[in-house]
Amino acid sequence: MTGSGHDQAAPIMEVVGLEHTYSGEVQALAGLTLTVPRGARLAVLGANGCGKTTLFLHMNGSLRPSGGRVELEGRPVGYGRRELRDWRGRVGLVLQDPDDQVFAATVAEDVSFGPLNLGLDEAAVRVRVAEGLAALGIADLAERPTHMLSHGQKRRVALAGVLAMRPQVLLLDEPTAGLDVRGSEALLAALERLNAAGTTLVFSTHDIDLAYGWADQVAVLDRGRCLRQGPADRVLADGALLERAGLRAPLLLDLALACRRAGMLGAGTLGEADPLPRTGAALCAILEKGLVHV
Amino acid sequence: MADWGRMAPVDRYAWACRWRSYHPMEKTVLAAGLLVVALVLPPAGSAAPVMMAAFAATVIGAGVPVRAFLSVLAMPAGFLLAGLPALAVSIDTAAAFPLVITAEGLRQAVLVSARALAAMSCLALLILTTPVTDLVRLARSAGLPVAIADLAFLIHRLIFVFLERAEAGHHAQAARLGYVSFRASVRSLGMLGGGLLLRSLDRGRRLNYGLAARGYDGELRVLAPIMPVSCSRLAWAFVMIAGVALLSWEVGR
Repeated sequence: MTGSGHDQAAPIMEVVGLEHTYSGEVQALAGLTLTVPRGARLAVLGANGCGKTTLFLHMNGSLRPSGGRVELEGRPVGYGRRELRDWRGRVGLVLQDPDDQVFAATVAEDVSFGPLNLGLDEAAVRVRVAEGLAALGIADLAERPTHMLSHGQKRRVALAGVLAMRPQVLLLDEPTAGLDVRGSEALLAALERLNAAGTTLVFSTHDIDLAYGWADQVAVLDRGRCLRQGPADRVLADGALLERAGLRAPLLLDLALACRRAGMLGAGTLGEADPLPRTGAALCAILEKGLVHV
Repeated sequence: MADWGRMAPVDRYAWACRWRSYHPMEKTVLAAGLLVVALVLPPAGSAAPVMMAAFAATVIGAGVPVRAFLSVLAMPAGFLLAGLPALAVSIDTAAAFPLVITAEGLRQAVLVSARALAAMSCLALLILTTPVTDLVRLARSAGLPVAIADLAFLIHRLIFVFLERAEAGHHAQAARLGYVSFRASVRSLGMLGGGLLLRSLDRGRRLNYGLAARGYDGELRVLAPIMPVSCSRLAWAFVMIAGVALLSWEVGR
């Protein structure tokens, strides 16, 4: 456990047996255990009220667990003022509703808030602000007042404000919910660039197709517990598990498995161990090839 | 029915006007200077020049639509109009009917109203050209305690969120016939108020999480935009104030 802080294979974050009860005896987390591999794109799945948001608040030190612990780079985190500051500098949290996060008069001012709290000097903060805005393609909004932005713009401002702190781990609560097609595509592209640059992403979502197509790992939550965590294609092929968590299988996975049964995939030239298609385009290519052969 | 969002367009004009990037101090000096002229010099002479100067600065200078300027003045003008009879009427116990309108009383009423309207147009000049957040920042640099400035900042931000919620809630209730009758309206408004209170408390808690996640430690620090105070603009403001004062003095004699 100790001394492995710089081991690339060691998980960057771990949540062990986390318990949390909100006042009014609603148990939101009931011994939740989760591992966040370094550099992962981890999707946290589950029905409404399964504890996703509560989990994220714990992973960032906003809530204190009544049982269990959170570990960062193999070390249990502390809840002192200085420890929290360090923790929150390394683990950024983007809430679902940007109005819970964006408060300052203009976009640039709002994005400067996090970096200033990190104790950076003014010149460094200006660099961070420009960087955060550029990462989401909203440099042109810099001087706009925050209360006159559209919902999609506000979402991007909220994310830019967290990115400007350069966190190692980014927690995103329902990042694509309520965004239009263009908006979520732009957001995912930005996240992809971050991930490629080494940022670990943990996001909760109801969009199981997104989780299947985009995440490399998924964790399925149900009533405050993590039922299973693993590679997206394997976990999401477990029908009984999904049923239990109140989820459905991704459409793409269903279609790919049907292709395999129909002999278009996995049989003959391709072999049973071939990876299943993860994108619509990949599936279409297989279908077109298969139709020629049938 | 109700358009709650309309409650906030004043700030919208301030953000969009040509004077947006000017230091709030310059605009405050101009508005305050004109206000002093309106309050110190006799209204018979000062009201019209002050009103015209405030109007010119707002509409011609800052490019705020005429309609916006007039609509800001409309509400206080309404109150003044409602109060006019009370000012004009005096009690004369010697007369057959004790309430009389004298020429002097009428003159007094008109002068008081003119002075009030002139003062209001100075305020309109300020709020239509200066976003509230700039004013809060100015007050903070002038010595307003940080905690109060931060609070004002957050309240201002949350007013817009609150109005959005109130409007959405109102539409949702109206869609379910919550305002078909007076009885239903009273009930619906009560429920809306109660619901908004709970949601506001919840929002406050979540905003706390959101700010804490970005390292909030008791002070809302942001990089304020650099707005240098322009000496030439300040000089122009003083010239304008002096001109208006002189004109008021001449007209009032």
